[in-house]
Amino acid sequence: MSRKLIGAIVALGLSATVATAQDYPTKEIQGIIQWGAGGSTDTVMRSVTPHAEAALGGTVVMQNMTGAVGAIALNYVVDAEADGYTLLMGAENPMLYKIMGLGDEDYSAFTPINLLARGTPLLVANVNAPFDDYAGMLAYIAANPGELKMGATGPGGLPSVITAMMNTVEGKLDVIAVPYDGDGPALTALQGGAIDVMPAVLGAAIEGVRAGNMKPLLVFDTKTNATLPDVQIATDANAGYATYLPWGPFFGVFAKNGTPDNVIAALTSAYATAAENPEFVDLMNGRGFTMMNISGEEATDFLSKWQQGTAWLLDDAGLTKASPADFGIARPSN
Amino acid sequence: MEILIAILTVFTQPQLLILVGIGTFAGIYIGAIPGLSVTMAVSILISFTFSWEVLPAISLMVGIYMGGVYGGSRTAILLNIPGAPSAIATAMDGYPMAQKGEAGQAIGVTTVMSFFGGLIGILVLALAAPFVSEFALTFQPRDYMLLAVLGILLVGSLSTGSLVKGIFAGALGIAIGSVGRDPLTFTERFTFDFKLMEGGISFIAVMIGMFGVSEALQQLQNVNMKSVRQKIDRIVPSFGTIKKYLPLSLQTSSIGVIIGALPGTGGDIAALMAYDHAKRVTKNPKVPFGQGAMEGLVAPETANNAAVGGAFIPMMTLGIPGDAVTAIMIGALFIHGLNPGPMLMIDQPDMFWFIVGALLTANFFMLIFGLTGIKTFTKIVEMPRSIIIPLILLLSIVGAYAVNTSITDVYWMLGFGVFGYFMRHYGYPLGPVILGVILSRLLDDNWRRAIISEREDLGRFFEGIFTSPLSLVLFVSVILIFVSQTPIWTALKRRLFGGETL
Repeated sequence: MSRKLIGAIVALGLSATVATAQDYPTKEIQGIIQWGAGGSTDTVMRSVTPHAEAALGGTVVMQNMTGAVGAIALNYVVDAEADGYTLLMGAENPMLYKIMGLGDEDYSAFTPINLLARGTPLLVANVNAPFDDYAGMLAYIAANPGELKMGATGPGGLPSVITAMMNTVEGKLDVIAVPYDGDGPALTALQGGAIDVMPAVLGAAIEGVRAGNMKPLLVFDTKTNATLPDVQIATDANAGYATYLPWGPFFGVFAKNGTPDNVIAALTSAYATAAENPEFVDLMNGRGFTMMNISGEEATDFLSKWQQGTAWLLDDAGLTKASPADFGIARPSN
Repeated sequence: MEILIAILTVFTQPQLLILVGIGTFAGIYIGAIPGLSVTMAVSILISFTFSWEVLPAISLMVGIYMGGVYGGSRTAILLNIPGAPSAIATAMDGYPMAQKGEAGQAIGVTTVMSFFGGLIGILVLALAAPFVSEFALTFQPRDYMLLAVLGILLVGSLSTGSLVKGIFAGALGIAIGSVGRDPLTFTERFTFDFKLMEGGISFIAVMIGMFGVSEALQQLQNVNMKSVRQKIDRIVPSFGTIKKYLPLSLQTSSIGVIIGALPGTGGDIAALMAYDHAKRVTKNPKVPFGQGAMEGLVAPETANNAAVGGAFIPMMTLGIPGDAVTAIMIGALFIHGLNPGPMLMIDQPDMFWFIVGALLTANFFMLIFGLTGIKTFTKIVEMPRSIIIPLILLLSIVGAYAVNTSITDVYWMLGFGVFGYFMRHYGYPLGPVILGVILSRLLDDNWRRAIISEREDLGRFFEGIFTSPLSLVLFVSVILIFVSQTPIWTALKRRLFGGETL
């Protein structure tokens, strides 16, 4: 091999390295969606990403990688290079993997690019349920212990957190928890009468509520919800809820720790622009999600606060496999 | 009148018509390649069509869906490798027909019957959607469980030869289906602490391995055998043939619509149940089932295409997906600014009728594309085995990898391929394994839901069955079908009706 050729190759190599550091992206970015096609995480990511692509001037190829409550997708991105070409598009679940014994990694291995929005939990009931409001439900449970069927989606899911919250605030409620593999199937079962009540994210239940196919009982928030202004809010029903609320599942885009700063900056600015897109904001509002659009330190703080509150709530309810303390998750101060 | 205009929207804009056509054409080929699934294609399309208007995006998706469900039959008939899970039953009689040089005729019947089934599904969607979705909602966990038990009893129909071996194969399938983290409690089952087992074993990988690779290995034994010459003179079935199967196809289409409309069950279960039904009601098939019976093609193919219309019923009336593909379509409607849910039909009835129109158009395209080019397709079977076997293996590997872009799936697929080869050798039927995998979760999840709902009290569980008409009908069917497969039945019949046995 001639010296000239070697020189050329070295130069090419060098210029390529320089190029990756300065111009990003130079190739397709892979976006790994933690949940299945058609679910909330999937629709949110597929709605926001095209706007981010436009801002970034690159292509993000999104792919659903499901299984083990999203742990398979998370591990895939953890194992990939920290070069900003493999992004994780996920929901809140990874923050509970450690205490639930589902995995050794969580979002602490990632830099949040953008926490897009947060969902509000809503307690809904079958239209034929023998009560019309939250107080009525509590009275029914007291009068008929062990009869009310409440939908669940497995440990760590939204219903398990809300149920833990209700048990902590109202005292142990004697109900039957019927497990489903997601809030979609559970809400279907609710409409068919297989279960009586179900805590679900507002966005998933809103259309059924609007059509009168299910009764809204309680909005788990500290403020009246703009989408459902007439429904009672949790802190009005019992002031004890104020300790835990506002709480809700969230959606975010993440890059592995160690990704070059300029890449993080480029992605952060692209997704921040995308999350301001009026079409996307309308879409999210219509589904009852609360826009957050936060990144950097603000996002990291949100994540650790969320994790502390939820992990200890579940631990106090006896639902965890390991204590949050084992992983250095501090008990929330208040 | 307004409804008619909405249905015909597809025809008023040539762009939409072309998109439905392209979708159907692409769907047939996506469906035909094992591992490339309609679900995958539609989810890719969501991003691809993001910036489009909603109608063109839906047109393309509807076309792919309709074509894809039909396309699975192609490779099932020609190569004994179902292109999609809903074509598993099609292979059982379709492939023997191709072996006898009747591939052209098999594809012809399949196409016309798929069209017919599709039409019935769309008609029910258009005329009775609210009633069917109301009925589908009344299915309680115990009813799903009984439905799964009913499905498992199909082992009898799917086993050629020894029933004991069939039961063993079915049980193996159920065990395979339960590997991984349990979706209800996230507890690890049969994972042996291997991380790669946590996600479970991909059902598609099992299917491709068992049918594709093991078939290729089997054919390796006589590589030099001359391939069968295909008769391709009579592809389009005569009107008489269609008329003969009309009663059966109406029954199997109804099975397809109902099973398709139930959230949680889809075309794959519908096709297998329809096959079983055909085997039960056909007293004297011209050719025995499993050796190329026409009824064995008619039943699953009408049912799986009827299930397409069925799956749209809960989606359009309640915003509840009837299967994986409609789940993604709900996401697509949401992204395009619509609110899929029970109000959609009231707020935007045009959307409903547009989808009906698009489905109808896709169904016609399917008939046209299905009946043309059969000659070229049948050439595949006439190719020398030394070319076709490597091709099957290549397709199997690509297909298994494509499902989750995971190399682990390829290893599973190859492992099950070798395992399936030995199963064939020792006379174990492969159909029941796949049946077991498909039904494993339906049975397991719903049994647990049903018994948990009754406070883990078996007495209350049976009380529930006997007080609900639907559960009772399903329960009695389970008992009857089970008894009819045991010697007690024959003995009883002899005593009741004298010496005459059917």
